[in-house]
Formats: sequence, structure tokens, C-alpha cells
Amino acid sequence: MDFDFSDDQAQLREAVLKWVEKAYSFEARRSAVAAGGFSSQAYQAMAELGLSGLYVQDAYGGMNMGPVEGMLVMEELGRGMVMEPIAHTWISTAVLQAFAPEHLKTEWLPRLAGGEALLVLAHHEKGGRYHLDKCQATAKQLGQSWQVTGHKSLVPAADQAHGFVVPATANGKQALFLVPRSASTDTRHVYQAQDGSRMGELHLQDAPAQCISTDGLAALQLAVDVGATALCAEAVGLMEKTLAITVDYMNTRKQFGVAISGFQSLRHRVADMKMQLELGRSMSYYASLKLNATAAERSLAVSRAKFQIGRSARHVGQEAVQLHGGIGVTDEYIVSHCFKRLTQIELSLGDSLNHLGLVSAQMQDTAGVFA
Amino acid sequence: MDLAFTPEEQAFRQQVRTWVQAHLPEHLSHKVHNALRLSREDMQAWAKILGAKGWLGYAWPTQFGGPGWNAVQKHLFEEECALAGSPRVVPFGPVMVAPVIMAFGSPEQQQRFLPGIASGEVWWSQGYSEPGSGSDLASLKTRAERVGDKYIVNGQKTWTTLAQFGDWIFCLVRTSFEGKPQTGISFLLIDMKSPGVSVRPIKLLDGECEVNEVWFDNVEVPAENLVGEENKGWNYAKYLLAHERTNIADVNRAKRELERLKRIAKAEGVWDDMRFRDEIAKLEVDVIALEMMVLRVLSAEKSGKQSLDIAGLLKIRGSEIQQRYSELMMQAAGPFSLPFIEEAMAAGWQGNHVGAAHCAPLASTYFNMRKTTIYGGSNEVQRNIVAQTVLG
Repeated sequence: MDFDFSDDQAQLREAVLKWVEKAYSFEARRSAVAAGGFSSQAYQAMAELGLSGLYVQDAYGGMNMGPVEGMLVMEELGRGMVMEPIAHTWISTAVLQAFAPEHLKTEWLPRLAGGEALLVLAHHEKGGRYHLDKCQATAKQLGQSWQVTGHKSLVPAADQAHGFVVPATANGKQALFLVPRSASTDTRHVYQAQDGSRMGELHLQDAPAQCISTDGLAALQLAVDVGATALCAEAVGLMEKTLAITVDYMNTRKQFGVAISGFQSLRHRVADMKMQLELGRSMSYYASLKLNATAAERSLAVSRAKFQIGRSARHVGQEAVQLHGGIGVTDEYIVSHCFKRLTQIELSLGDSLNHLGLVSAQMQDTAGVFA
Repeated sequence: MDLAFTPEEQAFRQQVRTWVQAHLPEHLSHKVHNALRLSREDMQAWAKILGAKGWLGYAWPTQFGGPGWNAVQKHLFEEECALAGSPRVVPFGPVMVAPVIMAFGSPEQQQRFLPGIASGEVWWSQGYSEPGSGSDLASLKTRAERVGDKYIVNGQKTWTTLAQFGDWIFCLVRTSFEGKPQTGISFLLIDMKSPGVSVRPIKLLDGECEVNEVWFDNVEVPAENLVGEENKGWNYAKYLLAHERTNIADVNRAKRELERLKRIAKAEGVWDDMRFRDEIAKLEVDVIALEMMVLRVLSAEKSGKQSLDIAGLLKIRGSEIQQRYSELMMQAAGPFSLPFIEEAMAAGWQGNHVGAAHCAPLASTYFNMRKTTIYGGSNEVQRNIVAQTVLG
């Protein structure tokens, strides 16, 4: 049992941190939001750092790294509120490596690792909420390939992606498909999310596709687990940043002749924010360290973590705004942006209530980190 | 002790309800019921309709044209307006500056300013907070220097709600640096068209410019715009707080929004999720408890027989409930609350909603409602006041 980071891991974190500081200042991010919420330069820069191939095996041109590396990278990207969905590249590569036939891996993994292609998970449907087994999209087989028809919502960087990882029902069973961009994939309906990032709708009409797995639910569960684990780490980095901003403010802001950080009632609330940050960090570690476990164990760990992270993110975000007073709700100042991103994390890939339900349904008599 | 409203009170409620149904334009209630953006015209339209009926200054004494309602009648009027989906009355004119002018202003000021406020024609803003004076309002620095028959005003106010639409602004200004800060503050009425007044909108986290900075650069204000006595302004501001209305609890709107929350929960399929439903049930009890607390305060006002010290709790609880229903609505929409499409938050948009149409404003409303525990005396300050009454 060892929670120290290796020197290589520390260096990786440092490299990402430096890039974020240089290329992703708050003002740079604001411009990127105004320009549509997705910067291909930023994505390419991350690819050049090796981040797009983080989980890809070296046989396919990747970095062959694991969940701990992913976790510390996401902490730094969270700290910078980076909008480009590198975690979706990790979702795609993880799912391809675990489930896809060889030809699909050789076709896509090197391009994903090199940053030439972006594949995103496109699984939301209207009325589906957070249920992974609700799927209206359908697929029909034509020889070796498939055609997928349906409408997926809330797809990250929909009009920027080169392809989509799409659940669809084939012969009454949910399967998982890789749908490359084509004349049959319509991503014209684009918009931005509350955090400024780019999103869109995906309309598929007999879109040519390859089957990643007929064990669609298991494959989708892995995708969501990888994504949720990334969100947990991202939230940790962002909560740390949000707390630091709040502390700086409280130590500077004077009312009644003294810095407000001197007021005991506010000091206790800072302590509570620290508590939520550290509980969140602890559970983020837990999820990352269980990401390579067997499916049931992995998914339960991720749900436990996402539940904690959701509560922590809510608490830290709300308190940070409140402790800032009026400027906390302005657009000009950074903390409202932190709060909006933290809120978006809570609502993504299953909110706290959803994951609580999953944890509750699987409760055994004994529980513990090692139980 | 009796819970029911008297037959007279019920008849009054019915009278108000009938009038509101007949006079509240449908396009306004549609926007309010669906949390769609209200324009300046929208807000002022309702004020003028009320004004024409003599009901904008509904809490004013009869000698100044008020309808002479008691505490319960005022509450029923507020409730009927809220339940029907009327726009919130912008309070700075009719609820905040008018009572001060009535209590402390000269007859000339009353004749000059009150009719425009009562009719809804004149839009007032409140110039209190400054960048360096939020919770510590008494430390305010905007200076009003008496020079002959004028005050020369220099300084900056902030968080001035809707000042971009303001015709006049009432300001707490510093007229003396001697003694305690509170004893050097005056209450001054300023025409926003005066040379030297400039307004800069402040965009909030929901994308709207609800508040402003107002700059005063050598603004000349006639001395007759001073309300009451110089250096007594802090007392006049406190007078307003002492006459805190139960309206601050906003329980009427809470009941309306609770209904909307249930509709949204059903439409989004979370009504049958007991975990989610229980959260709504908890909120429902909270709303009822707040309503009971409001009624207790009203009963005490009505009878005058017991004085209640719980009015300070109303703002705290009311704001927390506002935040809770806005949060649950966003949660009900779940991931479909995430798109931020400004056009979709205006009435009559014919574009493609991502989720259901009702999802469009939910996250923005949740974000905007974070202000309620900050403004109007932050909940931290309110708790200090409550603690003081309990602990001494």
C-alpha cells in the first residue's frame, strides 16, 4: 500500500501543470469560450505532450501508462479548467483495447495516440437520464459492417470529433459501435455547455459503423467508469484551485477593519471545504486504484467515488461563491467559472443521487477499502 | 388561536385574485411561470398596471394614497400576485425609498417624488454598497460635499440592481468623517441623468447584467434632495430594516416554484425515483414551516398583542429555500440542464431545444440564485443579528 507518486509521475504532472499555466490562463480560456469552446491547438498541444496516447499500449504508438498517470494529468487539467475532452480519447482507447477486434484497434489507436483523431463517447439520449441500459438507437448488420440510426445528445465537441463511440441496439441486445464521421452523421446542431465547453447533437441515419462489442453494456460501463474516474480527478484539481482562490481572497478582503479570514465562523467553513477536498481526493485515488479491477469491483468503486466527488464539488463550489460575497456571482471573476465547472462535473456521467442508488443496491454486510 | 383566514380575509383574497386574473397580461405570466427572461418593458408594464390601480404602493399609509390594508391583506395580495405568475415588483421605489420619503422627507419631496413612484412611471435604484463596503456598509466612502446650495458627489456604488434602467437613485453618502462612521452618513436623492453619473453593467454568472457599478464624478445635487437631516441617513436606512416585510421570505413564490418543480420532476421521469421524490418532500415541509413562520409574524402584526423576534429568520430561510428549489429543478433535468443557449431562455424561441423546453433556464437560474444568501444583508450578517437577539 503506497500512495506516493514516482519521480516519473511527478515529472508528468509538472509537464502538464507548466503547459496549463502557459497556454491555459483564465483569460486565454475566456477567449476560447468566446471562440466556441474547443481549440484544436490546445488539443494538439496535449497530444504532443503524449496525453492523447496515455492509455494506449506502446504497440499502437501510445505511452502505455495507467490510471494513476491519468489521475494526476486530470488533476492538472482540472486545475486549469481545460475544456478540450482529452478524457474522451482515454475512454475510447480504453474501450477499444478492452473490447474491439484487432483490425479496429490498428485502424484507430495509432491515430488516437498521435492526436490525429478525436473519438468521443456519444451515449446520452432524451429520456435516458443516467441509465446506461436505456438505448433507442438501433443498428443493423450488413456483412462485416453495420449501420447505426438514432439521435445522441450532449456529445462533447460533436462537430470537432472524427468519430463517435455509440451504444445501439442490435437484434434486441445493446451493443457498442464506432461510428466514423460521414455523410450520414449530422452534427450541425452545436452549442456550448454551462462551463463554456463545446457540445452538440449527433443525428445518425444508417451511418456506417464498426462493432466494438456485442457485449454493449459491459463495454459502455467501462467507458463510463473511465470517464467518471477522470471527472473525479479533474474535480480534485479544480476544488484545490477553488479553495486556494477563496483563501487568497479571504486573506486580502477587509471589512470592519480586518481581513475576513479572521472571522471564526468563516474559518470553520474553510476547514469544512478542506475536509470535502480531502475526502474527494481520497475517493479519487480509490477509483483510480480500482480502475483495473474486475468489472463489478471497478464499477462499484467508481460509483462510491463519484458520489463523494459530487457532494464535495457541490459543497466547495457553493461555499467558494458565498465566501466571496458579491464578486462570487460575477462573470468577470474566476470563482463563478470554477463553481459552474464543478456543478457540471456533478451532473455528468451520473449525479450523486444516481451513484448513491447504485452503491445502495450493491451493499453487502461488510464494507471497507479492502472488503 | 385559529389557522383559518376569516371570511372577510377570504373575500379579500378572492377580490384580489379576480383583479389579478383580469389584469395580469398572459405574456408576462407565461414568462414568469417558465423562468424566461424579462425585459425592462415587462417589469415596468406590471408596475404601471399596479400603479394605475393604486396597488403599487400597497403598503403605503392611506394619507399617501395607500389602500389601507392590514398585514394579512398585504400578505394575501402578495400571495395572489406571486401564484398568478406576476413579475417581481422592483422594490427600490415603492418599497424602499418611498417609506423613507414619507417618514422623513419634506412635504415638497413627498409631492415631488411619491406620485412617480406610485404610478410606476419612475424607476428607482438603490445606491448603498461600494467595492470596499459590503457587509461593512457603514464604512462607505462616496462623498457628498456641501457647497452652497448643492452637494458635490464623488465616489462609486456597486451591485446597484437594474440601475441601467434607473431614472433616479437614492444613495447613502458620506457627509462627515467625524465620529463613528454611521454618524456621518446622509440619504441623498440623485437624478441619474445628472452630468457626472455613469453606469457600467456587471455581467453575472448567468450571462445577464442584473447589477451595475455607478460612478459619481463631481455630480451636482441640489441640497433640497437631501432627505431629512444631514448625517442621519444611517437611521433612515435602519428604519427600513426595522419595517422588514414578511415578503422577504418569498414563501409565496416558493409555493409556486414547488409546484413547478413537481411538474418538471414528473416530465423528466424522476418523480418515481423515491430518492429524488424524498428531496422534494423535504423541501415541501420546509416551505410549509416557512409559511407558518410568516403567518405567525403576520398574526403578531395584526393583533399587536405579542411582539415576535423571528422576523430575522425569514430572509435566511427564504433564501435557502429559493436555492434549494432552483437546485432540485436543475437536478431533475440532470445532464439536459447543461446546454447554455441564451436564446432558448427568452420567450417565443422557435429553435431546437436540446432537452425539453423547460430545461433551458434551469442551470442559469440555479447559478443566479446563489446571490440570495449574499444580498440584502448576507446570511452571515443575518445570523449575527439573530444570535444577538438570542444571546444578547
